[in-house]
Amino acid sequence: MTLELFLFFTLALIALVTAGGMVFSKSAVYAALNLVTNFLSVAILYLLLDAPFIALAQVTVYAGAIMVLFLFVIMLLGVETLRAEFDWKKIWLQAVLALALLVEGFVMLFQRMGQAANLPFNTASVLTNPSEMAKVLFTDYLLPFELTSILLLVAMIGAIVLTKQVKKRSL
Amino acid sequence: MDWILLLEWVIKGFALVMILLTGFAYLTLFERRILAFMQVRIGPNRAGPQGILQPIADAVKLIFKEELTPAKSEKFLFLLAPIVTVVPAVVIAAVIPWGTQFEAFGRTITLYVADINIGVLYITAIASIAVYGIVLAGWSSNNKYAMMGGLRSSAQMISYELPLGLSFVLVTLMAGSMRPVDIVEAQRGWWFGLMQPVGALLFLISILAEVNRAPFDMPEAEQELTAGYHAEYSGMKFALFFMAEYIKMIAVSAIMVMLFLGGYRELPGLQNTWFSVDQTWWLGPIYMFLKVLAMLFVMVWIRATLPRIRYDRLMSFGWKVMLPLSLALIVITALGLVLQPMWALAPYILTPVLSLAAFGLTVLLLQNSLARRQHA
Amino acid sequence: MNLNLLAILPEALLVLLAVAILILDPLFKADSRRVNLGWLAAGGLTLILLISFLAGQPAQNELTLGGMVRFDWFAFAFKMFFIFAAAITALLMMDVDALANRAEAYVLLLAATIGMNLMAASADLVMLYLAIETTSIPLYVLAGFLTDNDKSTEAGFKYLLFGAMTSAILLYGFSLLFGFAGTTNLAAMAVSLATPTVFSLGALLLVLVGFGFKTSIVPFHFWAPDVYEGASTPIAGFLSTASKAAGFAVLLRFSLTVFPQTGSQWQYTLAVISILTMTIGNLVALAQKNIKRMLAYSSIAHAGYALIGVVAASTLGTASAVFYMMAYILTNLAAFAIVTVAGRVIGSDDLRAYDGLSRRSPYLALAMLVAFLSLAGMPPFGGFVAKLLVFAAGVEKGWIGLVIAGIINSIIGVYYYLTTLKYVYLYRMEGEDEESYPIPVSRPYAIALTVLVAGVILLGTFFAPWYDLTVKAAASLF
Repeated sequence: MTLELFLFFTLALIALVTAGGMVFSKSAVYAALNLVTNFLSVAILYLLLDAPFIALAQVTVYAGAIMVLFLFVIMLLGVETLRAEFDWKKIWLQAVLALALLVEGFVMLFQRMGQAANLPFNTASVLTNPSEMAKVLFTDYLLPFELTSILLLVAMIGAIVLTKQVKKRSL
Repeated sequence: MDWILLLEWVIKGFALVMILLTGFAYLTLFERRILAFMQVRIGPNRAGPQGILQPIADAVKLIFKEELTPAKSEKFLFLLAPIVTVVPAVVIAAVIPWGTQFEAFGRTITLYVADINIGVLYITAIASIAVYGIVLAGWSSNNKYAMMGGLRSSAQMISYELPLGLSFVLVTLMAGSMRPVDIVEAQRGWWFGLMQPVGALLFLISILAEVNRAPFDMPEAEQELTAGYHAEYSGMKFALFFMAEYIKMIAVSAIMVMLFLGGYRELPGLQNTWFSVDQTWWLGPIYMFLKVLAMLFVMVWIRATLPRIRYDRLMSFGWKVMLPLSLALIVITALGLVLQPMWALAPYILTPVLSLAAFGLTVLLLQNSLARRQHA
Repeated sequence: MNLNLLAILPEALLVLLAVAILILDPLFKADSRRVNLGWLAAGGLTLILLISFLAGQPAQNELTLGGMVRFDWFAFAFKMFFIFAAAITALLMMDVDALANRAEAYVLLLAATIGMNLMAASADLVMLYLAIETTSIPLYVLAGFLTDNDKSTEAGFKYLLFGAMTSAILLYGFSLLFGFAGTTNLAAMAVSLATPTVFSLGALLLVLVGFGFKTSIVPFHFWAPDVYEGASTPIAGFLSTASKAAGFAVLLRFSLTVFPQTGSQWQYTLAVISILTMTIGNLVALAQKNIKRMLAYSSIAHAGYALIGVVAASTLGTASAVFYMMAYILTNLAAFAIVTVAGRVIGSDDLRAYDGLSRRSPYLALAMLVAFLSLAGMPPFGGFVAKLLVFAAGVEKGWIGLVIAGIINSIIGVYYYLTTLKYVYLYRMEGEDEESYPIPVSRPYAIALTVLVAGVILLGTFFAPWYDLTVKAAASLF
C-alpha cells in the first residue's frame, strides 16, 4: 500500500466517523466539533488531490469561520443538549430516501471513475496553481463570481434588516 | 522521496519548534524586564546573572503545581482545549522563510520548513483554526467568567481576522504571489511597509487583536472577568495557554516582518554590498532575528503604554474603521499597480500618498464622530 | 472568448439602480423618503425596461460570457416580464409604510429581479444555481420583512426553511448531473444524457424538486398559501408572479435543452404533476375563506395549466407557456394590487370583508372583475387566450387526457372566481351604507392598476404582436 493510499483511507475513515458523530451526537457542541474535524479531514483529502487552494479555503471558510459562528450560537443560546431520540419507525422514510441518494452517489462515482470532466479549463493546472485559478475565475466564470458578490451583499443586507431594531420614526 | 530529504525536513522542523519554545521562554523574561524598565523598576534579576535563569525557575514552578479540573467541567474538551491552542501557534510558523539557502554536505539547504505557493492562505487558515482552543476552553470550564472571556476573545479574533486577511490581500497584490519566498524577494528593492505604510499599521493592530495582546487583552481583563477563558486552568495546562500566547507573538511578529518589513532581506539600498543576503547567506537569519526582536519590543512597548479598550469600542473599531479602511487600501494599492505601466513610480509614490490621505480622512472622521458623541 | 456585454445590460442597470438607491437613501428627509424611494425605484425600473427593450435586443442567439448565459429572445422576453413585474411591485409597495420607508426593501426587490433575469438566461449549472439563490434569498427576507408582525415572520421563516431544503436537494441533483454528464453546460449535458438511465433520471428528479419549489407545483406547493398570506401583499404578488415565472423560465429551458427529444419519461412525469397541480390547486381553492390564500391556491392551479405547455415541448407549447406566464403575471399582479388597495382600508383579507366593494369603489371593483375573469379564463381577457394556446399546444402533441383535465379544472376555477365577484357585486355591507366607507386609490395604485388592466385587455384582444414575441422566444430554444 502506498503512503498516499494509506493516508486516503485513514482520512476517509475519520471523515466518515466524524460525519456519523455529527448526526448522532447528543450534544450540539460535540456535533459541531465532529463537523469541524470532518471539514479538516476533507481539506486534507483535497490536499492529496493536489488542490491546495481549495483545501485551505475550505479550512478558512468552513472550519475557521462558519463553524466558529455555529459554536457561538450554540453556546450563547445554551442549547447544548439535543433531544436526539431516534425512533427508526418514525424516520424509515427518511432513511430509505437517504439510502437512495447514497446509492445514486455511488453509481455516479463508479460510472465516472477515471474519466476527465469536460470543463472549460485545464483542471489539473487550475487546481494546483492559484494564479491559473484566478484567471479562470475572472474570465469564464466572471459572471458567477460577480453574482456571488451581489448575493453575499444582499444576504448581508437581509440579515441586518431582519435583526436590527428599528426605532419608530415619529411622524 | 529520498530519506535524506526527509531527515532534512525533520531537522528543520525540530529546529523551528526548539527556536520557538526557547524564544517563548526568553520572551517572557524580555517582556518583564522591558516592562520593569519602562515602569522604573528592576524586574526579575535574582535567578542567574540578570535573571537569565528565571524562565527555567518559572517552568519548574508550573510543572510542580497541582492541576485542578473543575468538577462539572467537560473533561475531554477541557483537556483538549490547551492542545488545540498551542498546535496552531507552532505550526503557523512553518511557512515563514528565515533566510535564503546555503550549500552543505553537497546539497542545497533552504532556510524554511515548507515552501507552498499559497503560504499566505495557509497562515489565514491556521489563524482561523486557533480560535477553537479559546472557545472550547471557555465553554468546557463550565464557569460563567471563563465562558464570557472565551466568547469575547473569539469574537474579537474573528472580527479582526477580516482586516488581517485584507492586509494579506494587499501584500499578495504587491508581490503578485502568495508564496512567502516570492513575497520576501519582491521586497528586494523597497519594503512593502514603505509602499503601504497604512496597511502595515492595520496589520499591526490586527495581529495585536489576533493574539489578544494589550490593548486588546479583553479575555484577561482581570477586573471584569478574573482571568477570562483560562480562569479554571492551572499548572501545565495553564502554561500551555501562556506558551501559545507568546509563541503566537513571535510567529505574528515574524509574519509581519515577512510581509511588510522585507523578511530576511537587508535594508533597502544595501543590495549589492557585502551586507546583502545574496552575498552572505548567514546574514538572513540574523536580519530576521533583529527585525523580529524589534517587533516584539514594539508589542511590549504598546502594552506598557496603552490602556485597555472597552469591548464594544473594540468591536465597532474593528468593523466600522479597520474593515472599510483596509478595503479602501486594496483599491488604492490596485490603482497604483494598474498605473505602473504608465508611471513606473506609481506604487512607490502614489500608493503611500493616497493611503496616508485615506488614513488621515479616517482619523478626521473618527475624531468628529467621537466629538459629536461627547456633545450629545 | 465570446464576450457580449449587451447580454447583461438589464442586470448591470439594475445593479446601478440598487446602488443609487442605497447611496441616496440617507440623503432623503424622513417625511419625503417614502415617496422619493418609491418613485426612484419604480421610475428607474421603467427606465431600465425601456432602455433594455430598445438597446438590449439580441441580434442572434448566442452563448456568451464564458458560456454562462445564453443571449436569446427567450431570456430577453422573460427579463422584460420580470422588470415589468418589479416596477409594478415597487409602485404597490409605496403605500405600505413598513416596506416603503426602508430602502433595503427596494434593494432586495432589485436583487431578486437580477437573480430572476439570470435564471432565465442561465446556460450553465453553476450560473443557474447562483441565480436561483440570488432570487430566493432576497425573497425570503422580503417575505419576513415585517418583523413586528408574527404572520410575516412565520411566512419568511417557512419560506426560508422550505427554500433551503429544496435548494439543498437541487444542489445535490446538480452535482449528480455534473457527475453523470461530466459537464456543467446544459447543451453539452444533453449530449451526454441522450440515453438516460434510471440513475440519471433519479438525479433529474432531485432537480425537479428544486424547480417545483420555485414554480410551486404539487407536491412542492405547501409553502405557498402560508407565505402569501403572511407576507405583505405586494411581496406576495411578486412572489406569485415573477418568482413563479422565473421558475418556469428555468424549467422550460432546462427541459428543452437537456431533453430535446419528446415523449421521454421526463415529460410523463411533468404531465402527471400538471394534472395533480391543477386539480389540487383548484379543489383546495374552493374551500378558502381568505382571499390571499384563495389566490395562492389559484396560482398553484395556474402553474398546472402552464405546465401543459411545457409538457407539449413544441414551439407552440413553449410559446403558449411563455404567453401564459405573460398573461398570468399581468392578471395576478392586478389581483394582488386590488387586494393591497382594498386590504389597506378594509384591514382584513377575509372574503366576506369584500361585501359591497362595487359600491364602495366602483373602479376598483371593475378592475377586480377584469382580473378575476381573466384568471378564470373568460374572453376577451388575456387569461382566455393563454389557456386556449396552452390547450391547443397539448392537443397538437396528442396529450388529450391532459387537456381534458385542464378544461375540467378551468370550469372548477370559474366557480370560486365568480363566488368572489358575487361578494363584490351582489352582497351589501352590514348597515348598507357603503357610500360612507369609500376606498381611496392613491396615485401609484391608480397607475399600476390602469397599466395592468389595460395589459390584460390588450393581451386578450390584440394578441397577435404579443403572440409573435412569444413565438420568437420559443423558436430561440429549438
